[in-house]
Amino acid sequence: MTARTIAADAGPAVRRRPVPWSKLAWVTLRQRRGLLIGGGILLGVFAVYMVIMAVIQNNAYATVAACHPAGALKCQDLARTFSRTYWGGGAGPVIASGGAQTVSSLLFAIPVLLGAFAGAPLLARELESGTFRFAWTQGAGRTRWTVSTLALPAIILVAVTGAFTAIFWWYFRPFLADGQVSEMLPLGFALLGVAFAAWTLLAYSLASFLGTLFRRTLPAMAVTLVGYIALAMATATAIRPHYAAPVTVQGWNNGAAWVISQWVKAPDGQVLNQQALGGLAQHLPPSVQNSPSPDAFTNWLTQHGYTLWQSVQPNSRFWQFQLTEGAWLLAVSALLIAATVWLVRRRGA
Amino acid sequence: MNVIETSELGKRYRRGWALRDCTLTIPGGHIVALVGPNGAGKTTLLTMAVGLTRPTAGTLTVLGGEPPGSPGALDHIGFVAQDAPLYRNLPVADMLHLARNLNRRWDQRRAEDRLGQLEIPLRQKVGELSGGQKAQLALTIALARRPALLVLDEPLAALDPVAREDFLASVVGAAEDDGVSVVLSSHVLAELERVCTFLVVLARGQVRVSGPVRELLASHGAGLEEIALRHLRAGIPSSRTEAGQ
Repeated sequence: MTARTIAADAGPAVRRRPVPWSKLAWVTLRQRRGLLIGGGILLGVFAVYMVIMAVIQNNAYATVAACHPAGALKCQDLARTFSRTYWGGGAGPVIASGGAQTVSSLLFAIPVLLGAFAGAPLLARELESGTFRFAWTQGAGRTRWTVSTLALPAIILVAVTGAFTAIFWWYFRPFLADGQVSEMLPLGFALLGVAFAAWTLLAYSLASFLGTLFRRTLPAMAVTLVGYIALAMATATAIRPHYAAPVTVQGWNNGAAWVISQWVKAPDGQVLNQQALGGLAQHLPPSVQNSPSPDAFTNWLTQHGYTLWQSVQPNSRFWQFQLTEGAWLLAVSALLIAATVWLVRRRGA
Repeated sequence: MNVIETSELGKRYRRGWALRDCTLTIPGGHIVALVGPNGAGKTTLLTMAVGLTRPTAGTLTVLGGEPPGSPGALDHIGFVAQDAPLYRNLPVADMLHLARNLNRRWDQRRAEDRLGQLEIPLRQKVGELSGGQKAQLALTIALARRPALLVLDEPLAALDPVAREDFLASVVGAAEDDGVSVVLSSHVLAELERVCTFLVVLARGQVRVSGPVRELLASHGAGLEEIALRHLRAGIPSSRTEAGQ
C-alpha cells in the first residue's frame, strides 16, 4: 500500500457551527432516562399524596376558620381537634397518620436525596467506567458535553422542586394560618419560598463536583450527605439569623415571628441569668408552682415588676430572607458547577 | 499532511515520566503500528493525540498542525480507547443515535449498513454484545464520523483470534475504501505485521524506531519482528530513522 491522498473534505480548515444544544440535550436525557422515570414516578406518587392531604386539610380547616366567635369554647375545641388530627397526627384518618409535623420533617431530606442521586453519578460514572474517553473525544467537545450534562438536570430539578413548593404552600396553609408553624421558623422556611429549590440545587452541584473530584459515585453521595447536613444546620442556627438585625420586642408571645433569643429583666433593669431565673422559680408561692397553666410563672413575673424580652425576626421579613438565602445558595451552586467544568477541562485520561 | 507530529514531547505522571523526548512524524495515508512493551507510553501518546491529556513538555499537533482536542481535531479524529468503552445500558440503536447527536459529521446509513453486515442487532444492549461485537460497534461509530484519522488503542487485546482477524479486516477495508489514516497500538507486533505500512516502536517512553515498513525492511534486511526486537534490545533510540520522510 502506498500513501494515499486524504479526502478533500477531511481537512479541519473548514469551521462549522458547533453541535447544537438540542442534540446534546437528547444525549443527556437519554443517559439519565432511568433516573428520570424512576424519580418521576416516586415524586409523582408523593405529589399526589401531598395534593390529596392538602385538599383534606384545607377543607377541614375551613370549618375551624368559619367558627364564630373564635374565642368560644366550641371553636377552641374545634381548633384543637384539627391540630391534633392533622398536625400532630394523633387520631386522624390513616392517610394522615404521622401528621403534617412528621411529613414536614421528612421533607427536609428531599433536597439532599434528589441532589445526591441526580448529581453524584453524572461525571463519576463516566470516570469510573471509562466512557469519558468516548464522550470527550466526540465532535461536540468535552466542555460543551459537560455543560449540557450538568445544566439540564439542574434545570429539571429546579422546576420540579419549584412545583413542589407550590404544593407545600397549599398543604401548610392551614397550619400557617393557625400559627402551628411560622414560615420564618427553620421548619417552614426550608420548604417554602425559593429555599426548597435552592437547597436542592446546592446539593446537586455539590454532588456533581464531588463525583468529578473523587471519580467515584458512592463516596461523592456520602460526603454530599454529610456536607449538606452540616451546611443546612449551620445556616439555620448561625447564618440565617444574621440576614438582618433582629428586632427586640417586649413580651414572650410574639406569634408571627422567629424567636432568636429571650430573656427576663428584673424590676431594677438587670438582665437575669439562667441561674438567677432558676433560683426565682424555686421560691415561687405554691399556688404558682403547682398551677397547671404553662403561663403561671411568666404571669407571676410580670405581676411583680419583671419584664420579658425577645429578640425576633418577624414574619414580614420572610421574602427578604428567602431572597438572601436563595441568592447565596445560587452563587455557591454556580461556583461548584464552574469548578466541575474546570475539573473536567483539566482532567487527563 | 502529517497526521501526528511531535517534538520533544513528554508526559509526566505522579509515578514518573510515561513519555519523554518523543520526536515523531507520522505522515498521512498509512496504517501505523505503534508497538512496544506494556508501559512503553503507547496509550499516553495516543491519549495526548486525541486531546484527552495535555503534554507536560514539548509539542504535539495532529492533522497538519491542529492542536489536539481542538474542534477541528475532534471533528476529524475517530478514537476507540482500550476496551472500547461505550454505554453498556443502551441498546445499539440508541448508542448510535447518541454518537450521532455528539457529532457534526455523521453517516447513519454507513453505520447501519456495517452493523447489518456484522449481524449486530440494533435492539441488543451494548452490555450484552460479545467482545468482538462491541469492538466492531465502537469501530463502526468511529468510522460513521467519517474521520481523516482513526486512532485505536490496543483494539485487539480483548478479542479472540477470529474476532481479531475480522476486526483487522474491517480496519484495512476502511483505510482502503475511504483513505482513512489509521494508528493502532499493540504490544504484539505479530498481530499488526501483515497490515501495517508504517511502524513506530516505543520503549520506556521513547521512540526506538519509526518509519515506513517498506523502507525499514530494505535498510535492515530483516523481518519486521526482528527489526523491532533489535531496537528494543539495543536500548538506544534509533534517532534518524524517520529522517528520510
